Amino acid sequence: MIERIVFYSLSAVTLLAALGVVTLRNTVHSSLLLGLSLAGAAGLFASLGADFLFAAQIMVYVSGIAVLIMFSVMLLGRASDLHLRQVNEQWMAALLICAVSSAGLLKIARAYSETLPAAAAAPQTRTLGLLFMGDWLLAFELVSLVLTAALLGAVFFSRSEASR
Amino acid sequence: MIELAYLIPLIPAAAAFVMLFGGKEDPHSPMPWVGIAAMGVCLALSVSIFWAAAAGTVALPYEHNWHWFSFAAQVAGKPFVYDMPIGVLIDGPAAVTLVVVAMVSLMVQVYSVAYMHGDIRFKLYFAYVSFFTAAMLGLVASSNLLVTFACWELMGLSSYLLIGFWFEREGPCEAQKKAFMTTKLGDSGLYLALLFLYAKVGSFQLSQIYQFFDKGYMPPMVATVIGLGILLGAAGKSAQAPLFIWLPDAMEGPTPGSALIHAATMVAAGILLVSKTYFVFLASPTAMEAAGWVGLITAFLAASMALVSYDIKRVLAFSTVSQLGFMMCALGVGGFTAGLFHLTTHAFFKALLFLGAGSVIHSVHTNDMRQMGGLSKKMPLTFVTMLIAILAISGVPGLSGYYSKDMILANVWNHDHRMFWILLFTALMTAFYMFRLFFLTFWGDDRDHEKFHHAHESPALITGPLVVLAVFSAFAGAGLNHNGLVYKLIAKPTISAAATAAPAPGEHAAAVEPAEHSSAHEAAGEHGEHHEGHLPPWLHLTTIVLVLCSITLSFFLYRGPTYAVADAVKTSLAPLYTLLERRWYFDDFFYALVVVADKVAALAFWIDDNVVDRVFVDGWGLLMRIFAQLSDLFDNVFVDSAVDGVGGLGNDVGVGLRSLVREGQVQEYLMYAAIAFSLAATLILTR
Amino acid sequence: MTLSHYLIVAALLFLIGVFGALTRRNIIGILMSIELMFNAANINLVAFERFLHPAGSAGSALALFIMTVAAAEVVVGLALLMAIYRNTDTAYVEHFNLLKG
Repeated sequence: MIERIVFYSLSAVTLLAALGVVTLRNTVHSSLLLGLSLAGAAGLFASLGADFLFAAQIMVYVSGIAVLIMFSVMLLGRASDLHLRQVNEQWMAALLICAVSSAGLLKIARAYSETLPAAAAAPQTRTLGLLFMGDWLLAFELVSLVLTAALLGAVFFSRSEASR
Repeated sequence: MIELAYLIPLIPAAAAFVMLFGGKEDPHSPMPWVGIAAMGVCLALSVSIFWAAAAGTVALPYEHNWHWFSFAAQVAGKPFVYDMPIGVLIDGPAAVTLVVVAMVSLMVQVYSVAYMHGDIRFKLYFAYVSFFTAAMLGLVASSNLLVTFACWELMGLSSYLLIGFWFEREGPCEAQKKAFMTTKLGDSGLYLALLFLYAKVGSFQLSQIYQFFDKGYMPPMVATVIGLGILLGAAGKSAQAPLFIWLPDAMEGPTPGSALIHAATMVAAGILLVSKTYFVFLASPTAMEAAGWVGLITAFLAASMALVSYDIKRVLAFSTVSQLGFMMCALGVGGFTAGLFHLTTHAFFKALLFLGAGSVIHSVHTNDMRQMGGLSKKMPLTFVTMLIAILAISGVPGLSGYYSKDMILANVWNHDHRMFWILLFTALMTAFYMFRLFFLTFWGDDRDHEKFHHAHESPALITGPLVVLAVFSAFAGAGLNHNGLVYKLIAKPTISAAATAAPAPGEHAAAVEPAEHSSAHEAAGEHGEHHEGHLPPWLHLTTIVLVLCSITLSFFLYRGPTYAVADAVKTSLAPLYTLLERRWYFDDFFYALVVVADKVAALAFWIDDNVVDRVFVDGWGLLMRIFAQLSDLFDNVFVDSAVDGVGGLGNDVGVGLRSLVREGQVQEYLMYAAIAFSLAATLILTR
Repeated sequence: MTLSHYLIVAALLFLIGVFGALTRRNIIGILMSIELMFNAANINLVAFERFLHPAGSAGSALALFIMTVAAAEVVVGLALLMAIYRNTDTAYVEHFNLLKG
């Protein structure tokens, strides 16, 4: 019972916030609702028993990426933009595509309608740690390389002309 | 001595080469004596052979062959050996002819030393004469028909060289070409005959060919073709109608050369060839009859042409043609012995006549008889010897020509009476024109005083041979006729298997003993020939009387300084005179033939150029060009546009697709990706 | 809750993200939509891990990787956006048509 309420409310928050992200005219509002949507997703992670991921989601996405996007929006935003439409003219085609695609996706989803969780959720931190440092060490290191490259790229691209 | 017979042709040949290459060309060169010495040796050998044959101490025919070449071949799958020996075959006629040729050649060469004295090509002349004699002797003595043919051609060459000896003038040049080409035309027939012979018999050896005919292996049709071919060759060389046209013109050459070649020896080669291959004619009555008629026509035509000629050498040339006609006619009616007997006597008195004429020409420096006359006073020796020769040729009894001519007339009478009367008329014409020559030249008073004044008797080297030949002209006939020697030596050949159409009542072919030697001349020697050689007595007497009458007629017409009566006759019979003077238009006929041939050739070329080349070659080229242009058109219109079309289609599709997208809009690209995704999701996931 | 519930949620979130990516005029709007799509994938992963393979933790680990890469991508994207904005003074996608032709 509790589980159901939790799930539906979290899902509602996530989905409605997402809708807000893609439809609102005010970009700042969009970015704030993005943060909310991401938080809702974190809650879903928690309900699924992925505790580390829930924490990581909050730390990385909500307080990292969402904030960053908010910064950029505020840097780029102009007051005159508030009156402009933010959705372009191919929204009907996009809607159609979504509708068509949903048919297939939902069908697959419904195929698992009987599946129930096998066991209780276990804490994952230790398992993940062992995984990263053991079997998936190479992938772990490569990902850190990716991060380094991203960092360097970002620094490079955002330098102003004067300092080049 | 007969074993040395092979030397007889070789000695003069060697002498000819020695004279050709040795010594310098010099008008007074001593080289001719080399040739004369060689000919003397030759004559001695020939006489020894003749003497042995006449006495019967040597068995004729004598044949000796040396191996020349042979090679093996396959004919229709069976092995066959081509064997070509080279050697001598001396039979009766050969023995007699060798003496004749050697004697006449010797006399001519001695004569020429004085006659050609001072000529710029003095030495070369003697080389030619020796060369010619060697070829003639080779022809007479050879046992192989191919070698005979080779000698035949060599004689044609020598004749060409001697006729055109003085080639700086145009007359000799034209004459030598005419002679060569006319005889070549006849040679084509001979060549054909040789090919047929070899194809059928497989050998060129005369003895083997005789055996072939004797056993009757030769089909009559082929025998006829061969016979006619040989007749054609003989017609060319021995100046029978219609190929006699070269002989009158051949008088452009030096007179002693004419004496040797065109009087006594070369022109007799044709007759000799017919006699050597007489078995062919025995096997083919058609060829024999053709020979008889050809000879008769020739004799008649030539005698008629001699009647109107004023050039002394030309008269003698026509006379030669006429006498050759006699010989051919005799052979054609079956009078083998008669023909060859006449050949022998004719050689002597015709050579004498030519040499005598040469002597006269040398003395008065002209050929024209109208400018001569009364030369008997100035040139007695020439006068007497010429008289003997003319009496001989006219057939006056006692001299050699009488015997031979009588024999011929007898054979013709026994064969065909029409031919006899024509031939008799020809003999009367012969007597007439020869005495015309005699009277115009030697009798009466001179017509040209200047020439008469300078006339003189010729030197000894010229008159010596004249005397020798006169002796032979007088006595050779009687000598050969004595005890039927001529029949023994020149016996008529027979072939056992053929039906001899020569109606010779005394000719018993069955009376032949089986011939062990494979020669034609052993048969029917002594038996039945004698009574055939005589005319019936009344006819015989008539002939003699008629000859004397014609001589008398000639005397009355031509004895005076002027011959007004003869001229009157000439003007009253003007068309006839023109016909005879133009030589029965034979020259014009041949010339027209050449012109026609030229026109035909020109027409053929025109057709080739304009029709064949234009229609076929150029037309085909045009067709090809049209086809090429059509292909090009097709290529441009269809193929290229197809290629361009495909390219254009690709381009249009790309442009068309591009126009669906607003350029540069990323979200539009994304849209298409999303469409693809949705389709995939639907199709795959909803299956 | 069955697996299908979570899958439906993830699917809807993904489709919303697709819609946003196709229709937003602002570049940052597109980037945000992309983030939504990433999250939908993460939810899918974790849900499958929880319901079908609870023994391992490969799903979560993979979700972590995705998170990391998404973060890196957002950083680079924003840096690029800054550079573009400095040059063209606009943040609307329809003005970026240098790819034309």
